[in-house]
Amino acid sequence: MDRNPFLFEMIRSELEEIVGPDYIRTDEPSRLVYSTDWSWMPQMWLDRGERLPTPDYIVHPGSAEEIAAIMEVANKYRLPVVPWGGGSGTQGGAVPIYGGILIDLKRLDKIIAIDEKSLTVTAQAGIIGQQLEWALNERGLTLPHYAASSNCATLGGYLAPRGTGTVSTKYGKAEDMVMSMQIVLPTGEIIRTPPVPQHASGPDWPRLFLGAEGTFGIITEATMRVEYLPAARLLRAFLFDNLSHAIEAGRRIMTRRLHPFVIRLYDPESTRTQVKRVLGFDFEGAYMVIGFDGDPDIAALEEQKAIAICLELGATDVGREPGERWWHHRYDFYYPPLSLKLPWMYGTTESVATYDKIEQLYWAEKRAVEEGFREWNIKFIAHFSHWFHWGVMVYSRFIIEEPPRDAREALRLHNRVWNAAMEAVLANGGMINEHHGVGLKLARYMRRQYGDAWPFLVRLKKTIDPNGIMNPGKVGF
Amino acid sequence: MPTDTVIATTDNCRYCLMCRHVCPVGHVTRLETLTPHGWGLTIASVRRGVLRWDEATVTMLYQCADCGTCRAHCVTDQPLPEAIAETRAEVVAAGLAPAAVLAVAEKLAAFGNPYVDRHPEPATGEGPVALFVGDEVPYRWPTALDAALRLLAALNIRPALVGRGRNNGYLASSLGFPDLARSLVQATLEELVAVGARRLLVLSPGDYFAFHRLYEERLGIPRLRRLEVEEVVSLLERSLATGELSFRQTAPGAPYAYLDPTHTVRVDGRWEAPRRLLAAVFSEPPRELFWRRERTHPTGATALQFTQPDLAAMLTTARLEDARRAGARLLITEAAGDLAMLAPLSPRFGLEVRHLFEVLADQMVVPV
Repeated sequence: MDRNPFLFEMIRSELEEIVGPDYIRTDEPSRLVYSTDWSWMPQMWLDRGERLPTPDYIVHPGSAEEIAAIMEVANKYRLPVVPWGGGSGTQGGAVPIYGGILIDLKRLDKIIAIDEKSLTVTAQAGIIGQQLEWALNERGLTLPHYAASSNCATLGGYLAPRGTGTVSTKYGKAEDMVMSMQIVLPTGEIIRTPPVPQHASGPDWPRLFLGAEGTFGIITEATMRVEYLPAARLLRAFLFDNLSHAIEAGRRIMTRRLHPFVIRLYDPESTRTQVKRVLGFDFEGAYMVIGFDGDPDIAALEEQKAIAICLELGATDVGREPGERWWHHRYDFYYPPLSLKLPWMYGTTESVATYDKIEQLYWAEKRAVEEGFREWNIKFIAHFSHWFHWGVMVYSRFIIEEPPRDAREALRLHNRVWNAAMEAVLANGGMINEHHGVGLKLARYMRRQYGDAWPFLVRLKKTIDPNGIMNPGKVGF
Repeated sequence: MPTDTVIATTDNCRYCLMCRHVCPVGHVTRLETLTPHGWGLTIASVRRGVLRWDEATVTMLYQCADCGTCRAHCVTDQPLPEAIAETRAEVVAAGLAPAAVLAVAEKLAAFGNPYVDRHPEPATGEGPVALFVGDEVPYRWPTALDAALRLLAALNIRPALVGRGRNNGYLASSLGFPDLARSLVQATLEELVAVGARRLLVLSPGDYFAFHRLYEERLGIPRLRRLEVEEVVSLLERSLATGELSFRQTAPGAPYAYLDPTHTVRVDGRWEAPRRLLAAVFSEPPRELFWRRERTHPTGATALQFTQPDLAAMLTTARLEDARRAGARLLITEAAGDLAMLAPLSPRFGLEVRHLFEVLADQMVVPV
């Protein structure tokens, strides 16, 4: 917004009346810290000593009612509203590109109820995932959304981009665990979705808010399905010298309705680089970790069936330790300096497709990236995780270790690489994203992804958010 | 100029969010700015010229509690608290330190402690075992020393007393005065040599961290060769296990909780010993707090109590609220600084606070 001091102070005083003076910040370091999420583009911009657009006001509401009142101010002054959970998004979904009011939800961090009979937890959306998980663990329960970002992401952040965690293959995506939500609409109404998700009482409208990434409103509370902590977790690893056979093994395990909580298949390049660097295994080929959990007898029996499938397809069973080590260090990949780190250029162009298309998609994307940007000595790595009965997600990444130093040039190159990857994804029947969300990064592909359905989504957006205040520039809106 | 440690660490931490869930300051303030990522990004941004050290950035820099929780949970052991302390030293050298920070440093320089206008007392006794008294016990919870000495006497240990009324150097180091910290440490180390101690007992995990790690790592003071450092609580627990020490069990009373002291996370696995000792005294197990053991959060008994009293009170209140939620009526811990922070606020939460050593000394079976 125009930081004319008169208007700035007018709006600030109205926001202060809503949340109190202790819960609004406009100082320079706070505005800088809230100017970037975990996505590469803004991080790179700051890394090169450039300034990003910053929020004008960082507001910390303590209730849904306060958020509703903030919406009124935002609509009156036509100010952008950007919801902020943990800032752990990789797609720029929380970057306040047009300034305005950034709403940090972390004061909404209460656990409202744990229902040990129906196995649900109701919590405010600003609670950090790991803190919620610890509280559930004390009752022998777990919310089986084990995202790599659980240490920092919030419950609302699990749901807004339709996140997926490590054990999704058995327990589903975050969106599959949600029973009901409280949402503050852009027009200020506070609504609740029905108490259960499966019914025949009209259309499934609550799902509109899953994947909208704050463009349709702000999730302030959610009731989630939880599970008992498993009595056993059995993990082991296999090596395949043929990636096709490894994907086929995963397909057979899933379509024969075994219930692994994880199948993590690293392509040969990832096995040679990432797996060696973080886990220390000097493996050749494609490294696959498979895990079964729950009742120890059932888990053991299912594991035997999975072993048979893998051996039938030529795998080498490398035993439990390489599976267990991965499990215990599965998040180490995300700690610096083990993680991909600036000044490198990188991007996760993850996608999902049905089994008949996924391998072709992988090779097409790999070719497009490696051949299209050979002069940058680009690397393409991938793993396959989040397996469904009908297909699998490919977590593909590109890495350039010596990108342009100039921020503008680097940003353009980043977009060009991403374009090449997305072209390959769309041309091969994939979705532009499976679990990181659309955010700012993928917004420009939405029209193409949805084709004739896109104008319908735009009309929906205009109805729900008539002044277009909610997280503008994201998800294609 | 920032050192390599500051540059490498803050460049690593500026975009890493993997310890957000445990940062106590981030937890009570809910501010992104006041998290390891926020501090890392701010320091890195000053270096890149996107921010500068001014009142807002310096205030923020001094809002880190220096409790060590981020580092304890970091898979790659990023020394962010050390990098923040080094950065504070740069700010001090540039003449930009806040007045409250300078006031603490002046007190430490003049009296060796930030609490009272009194000089440290000379060491007493001599022999192979010494006890570091420090400043928190005499000036914040003085009855704890007598209790500790009674427990040690039951084990036929009559230690020389060193560092009587002198800060262990942590405060000065944390606030960005490494030379002042070194001079305080040096005075205590000279006393240790003078009394002929080969074994040093300490009264809290904060003191253990100082002697075991901070001096060498943060201040560049080599560890005294052949000086073995041990927490009193660990010695007592070993003595309980071997039967050298025993306690009378109390009748069931008010539900109690044990608060792992500030800096617990900096001492690997130290949380079992106090719980085993309490199990010998109380027939009921403690009510466990949410922020316990390896995820222990501090009270405000760090430099924050002087420089950011409101934030220190928020941290202290959070500990009491945690105990209240656990259903406790009695809260036990063994760091004098923590107890002094907790005691004035505890009635508001329906809690009584007691020093672990006093509880143990009262229930000790005195050897005949």
